[in-house]
Amino acid sequence: MLSSTPGILLPDVLLEVPTRGGAEDGYDAFVPNGLLNSTPRDLSPSLQASPSTEVSHSRQSSHSGSKTGDLYLGLELVPNGLLGEPSSKQDVPPSSPSPEPFRPNGLLSQSQDEELPDIADLLRPYARTTAHASGSSAGISTAPIVLPRSSLRAHTYAGQPVFLRRRARQKIGVVQPVRESQRMGNLLDVPIHRLLDHLSVNTARKLAKEDDDDPATASSATEDSLWVDRYRPKRFTELLGDERVHREVLGWVKEWDHCVFGKSKTKGKKRARDGEETNLLQEDALHRPQEKILLLSGPPGLGKTTLAHVIARQAGYAVFEINASDARTGQVVDDRIRPALESGFAVGSSKPVLIVIDEIDGATGDNASGFIHKLIQLTWEKTSKGRGKKRDDKGKRPLRRPIICICNDLYASSLAKLRPIARIVRFTRPTDVHIVKRLREICELEAVHADTRALSTLVGVTRGDLRGCLNTLQFIKARNQEVTEHVIRTATAGMKEADSNYLSVLNDFFSPMSKKRVKERGLGELDEQKYIDRLSRAADATGALDRIALGCFEHYANTHQHDATFARYVKANEWLVAYDVLSGSLRAEREYAILPYLSYSLVAFYPLFQERGGHRVERPKADWENHVKTQANQEVYKSLARAVRTGHGRTSGNYRHLIGDQIMRLELAPYINRIISPPIRPVNSQVIRPEEKAILSRLVNIMVSLELRFVQEKGEDGQLMYRLDPPIDVFVTYDGKRAADIVVSRYAVRHLVAFEIDAQLIARQADAVERTQTRKASSFFGASRREARGDDNGDGALEPADEPRRKRAKAGPAVDIADQPAVDFFGRPIVPTTTGGPSKLHSAPAQSEKPYRVSFRFSEGSSAAVRKHAKVSSFL
Amino acid sequence: MLWVDQYRPKTLKDLHYHEGLSQRLKSLAASGDFPHMLFYGPSGAGKKTRIACTLRELFGPGVEKLKIDQRVFLTPSRKKLDVNIVQSNYHIELTPSEVGNYDRVVIQEILKEIAQTQQVDLNAKQRFKVVIINEADSLSRDAQAALRRTMEKYMSNMRIILCANSTSRLIAPIKSRCLLIRVAAPNHKEMKTVLEYVAQSARAGKIPDEAAEDIVRDSNGNMRKAILVFEALKMQTPDLSGPLSIAKPDWETYCHKVGDMILQEQTPQRVMDVRAKLYELLSHCIPPTIIIKTVAERVVQGVDESLKADIMHWAAIYENRMRIGSKKIYHLEAWVVKVMSLYKHFFYDMDMSGFEDGF
Repeated sequence: MLSSTPGILLPDVLLEVPTRGGAEDGYDAFVPNGLLNSTPRDLSPSLQASPSTEVSHSRQSSHSGSKTGDLYLGLELVPNGLLGEPSSKQDVPPSSPSPEPFRPNGLLSQSQDEELPDIADLLRPYARTTAHASGSSAGISTAPIVLPRSSLRAHTYAGQPVFLRRRARQKIGVVQPVRESQRMGNLLDVPIHRLLDHLSVNTARKLAKEDDDDPATASSATEDSLWVDRYRPKRFTELLGDERVHREVLGWVKEWDHCVFGKSKTKGKKRARDGEETNLLQEDALHRPQEKILLLSGPPGLGKTTLAHVIARQAGYAVFEINASDARTGQVVDDRIRPALESGFAVGSSKPVLIVIDEIDGATGDNASGFIHKLIQLTWEKTSKGRGKKRDDKGKRPLRRPIICICNDLYASSLAKLRPIARIVRFTRPTDVHIVKRLREICELEAVHADTRALSTLVGVTRGDLRGCLNTLQFIKARNQEVTEHVIRTATAGMKEADSNYLSVLNDFFSPMSKKRVKERGLGELDEQKYIDRLSRAADATGALDRIALGCFEHYANTHQHDATFARYVKANEWLVAYDVLSGSLRAEREYAILPYLSYSLVAFYPLFQERGGHRVERPKADWENHVKTQANQEVYKSLARAVRTGHGRTSGNYRHLIGDQIMRLELAPYINRIISPPIRPVNSQVIRPEEKAILSRLVNIMVSLELRFVQEKGEDGQLMYRLDPPIDVFVTYDGKRAADIVVSRYAVRHLVAFEIDAQLIARQADAVERTQTRKASSFFGASRREARGDDNGDGALEPADEPRRKRAKAGPAVDIADQPAVDFFGRPIVPTTTGGPSKLHSAPAQSEKPYRVSFRFSEGSSAAVRKHAKVSSFL
Repeated sequence: MLWVDQYRPKTLKDLHYHEGLSQRLKSLAASGDFPHMLFYGPSGAGKKTRIACTLRELFGPGVEKLKIDQRVFLTPSRKKLDVNIVQSNYHIELTPSEVGNYDRVVIQEILKEIAQTQQVDLNAKQRFKVVIINEADSLSRDAQAALRRTMEKYMSNMRIILCANSTSRLIAPIKSRCLLIRVAAPNHKEMKTVLEYVAQSARAGKIPDEAAEDIVRDSNGNMRKAILVFEALKMQTPDLSGPLSIAKPDWETYCHKVGDMILQEQTPQRVMDVRAKLYELLSHCIPPTIIIKTVAERVVQGVDESLKADIMHWAAIYENRMRIGSKKIYHLEAWVVKVMSLYKHFFYDMDMSGFEDGF
């Protein structure tokens, strides 16, 4: 066995030595390593220690095969004996001779072959990563080596020297991995006995430490805990992701220092940070930050919760966490949060409390708003109370502890109220490179072999979700698999499905699987041919079957399949129709049992139209455009129907039979457009020919009764134009062209028509007013009637110009309500002087006593022919 | 005012055609034993005109004093529905299909309300009120079921007049409770008479014979359409002389264009072109049933005798499926492709066997 491994130099191969050897002594040789490995807390030293010891051991063994076999055996025996009696822990320091033989061997080997520097190089990455990952900063022992001075000298921009004092670090009773490797590099620099001393001391310490810890929990934790927990960052510096985000959060927590810990600690720092902010803070009596709540948001698995906890610890708080497992009602705020805040300290801890409300957006249900509401009240109701506290001491105590809320969806409706008052910090996924790096470190620590490509695939699949990555890796390791891209793909099959996009599925419908994917999935020739299950599952997973159907519909005619008799097309359409009928009845009759079968009708497109290198399927959009257009046109129909209906009400015409859906769309809409576009020459209405005038007045009549108008607008080129309103001309416009037989009336014509319509409308309005006024005449002043007459001036356009004047001349005197006693608005008789006030032509009240009167009737013209009483005297 | 409305007969004796029907309605109105009625017949035959005339016969000119109301109904799911109601003192007119699936609510609410109030006008000629339900054939089954009991229960207070295009979609119990009155489309001669009457009343001058013939032929028994066309013609060529072109509705012209396109060429590109045209028609809110019908009629004109039956057969099948489905364009295109395929087969004189069982 010993001779079988003479030339092995690489550590990973060396690791196999004992097992390959199979002999008992070979196995024993590995035991000390196992002992070192079993340190529960700190993996790094053990890992650090194990390669080194192994290397030395292997070196030694490779040697011993040739030279010092006896020495080797002796070496093995010593540790064995030590391990054999675990009870005698006190013997550990004396066991220092145990590593003793290692070193000399290593040295001996070093003297013989040149490979040792290589091994040191090999080990360096381990050392570095462990130092980074474990984060156990260099201890005292390293300090003299790396930084010999206790203070640093630096220069500011102004050139003034600044001395930075080195802070004495906490002593860590664990062997420092960095030192190990460094020592390997210059192994010969250090006398052998010192090295041996170090090693023994370290071992002793480690064992002693193990003693302190509860051995049961310690060992079980290593094996059972999730990697996610095991590699959860414990310190601020270990956090992965955007430094600025971390700093922002820490900064916010630090702003509380003044309030929580008192002035001394961070006053200067705060000032330095931001002058303006300090001013704002000054307003707060308690020197709290402006926003009392911090809202962390971001996708899952990026470490929001971890960040909150780490920062709380960093800033010296004890965390009081409320998460989705707790009921989140207003009650909880009163029962749990408020007491915690008011006491200011966590139970059984001397640290001030910091409240972390996790998954706050998941607070749905009836009481969620109550919870948020109470929370908000907590912050600002208390702010006012805090100020008012000086006035009445009975008020509740102001909020004195920071609250951090964590959510995934920042725009959840339940958070709407919280958003404006909270400081919002958004999490984004760290760059893939960083995640991959961290994953690789972890893989190395866990002795999982993983290539970078596999890891970056993993990161891509999980979309930066570190928790997902770690869980997947642990799962893979549990199955003793190597981490390759393929394994990752199978392990994350579910995750991948979830984010599959309907467009990519649609593309799968029209193109065969790529060679690469076939290989990835490890499918045989026969499996590759099977598509139904694969495609239907993919289609179902998207949850957008309707859109896939649309995509199929819009794309199938673009494929290049030769189809002389359209047999393919007919089939494809049959399937689409089947799909539509199925989904139609699914919706209409709520037969959701059909749902699983829907996707199969679409899968049929694959055998019909799949081709390599065809067009990519575009996002289906024609249907949406059509939908938008239909909506717009429907609006026009609606407004036309409304106009016809109200027009009917006003003219007491009977258009209601025209507004049935079909009738209006098929008959009224096309013809009304023709009816309202007669050929009229654009001339002044005064010089118009009589027959044209007839047409014009008829046109105006129709348009008024249907409530159609021409509305003046500025076109895109700034030119004035008249637009039909409602724009019913869309119904004769197909493909953007108007029907050929409808003349587009020119601006001048439309102007003329619009003018006439307005005149007509005013006339009608006046007419209506007049009618109602005549009806109520007995209770109104004459003046009000005159006002109505005044309105009539507008209708001159349609009548001969002199007519209104004549009418007014005649009607004017009639205003006098001769034969009735004058009454005011409330029907009370009133004194004639006030009655006659508005009327200039009013004659003396004596006239009302005359027994006779002349009735004058005027009934000519289209406008209001009003019958009024008039006196002869007024004509004289 | 449009001619179609202006020269609409107001009384039964003014009606131009279906003298026998008018006579019967008159005697029914006079008998004092007025039944529920169902007027049916093609669009534009004069159903509503006849209903209005009958009402006038029943109640006198008072029924023409109309007011329009917009009533708000609450569905069981608390959705608000606006329904337009036209009513006089003696009757009420509604179109429940305006509210789609909720027509049952409207029917129940309104009918009950009317049925439970007596006629208050002592001078009224009849003791009952009349409810006119337009577009009765698009009533949902629920609504029709709601109607049937009400019709018997409140017979003393009200009569119902249904107006529908066809009776096929009305449930049998309703039909059996009504007096069915078919208003057939006028024949060409009758239509011409009406056109001449309109021309005369409107002082529009004599309508040229050919023009009248054209209008009558194009409007296909639809009097309303004929008069609209006539008015459009008169507006566009005021003197009614020279070569007159009778305007066709634009959607119809467009459908014909689609039909021609289908026959000209059968390629994938053409399928896409036709699809674009169909979309255009749909976006103008032309009902898909009308589209498939019009296009099919056009296509049939241009193909060999042996294909005609098949094309119509498939049009019927796809139209039926379209009613079940929700995306109309799928079915329209499926039919278009089917027709193209049939036409190609015919053209290449290929074996047609096995085509029927092709799907």
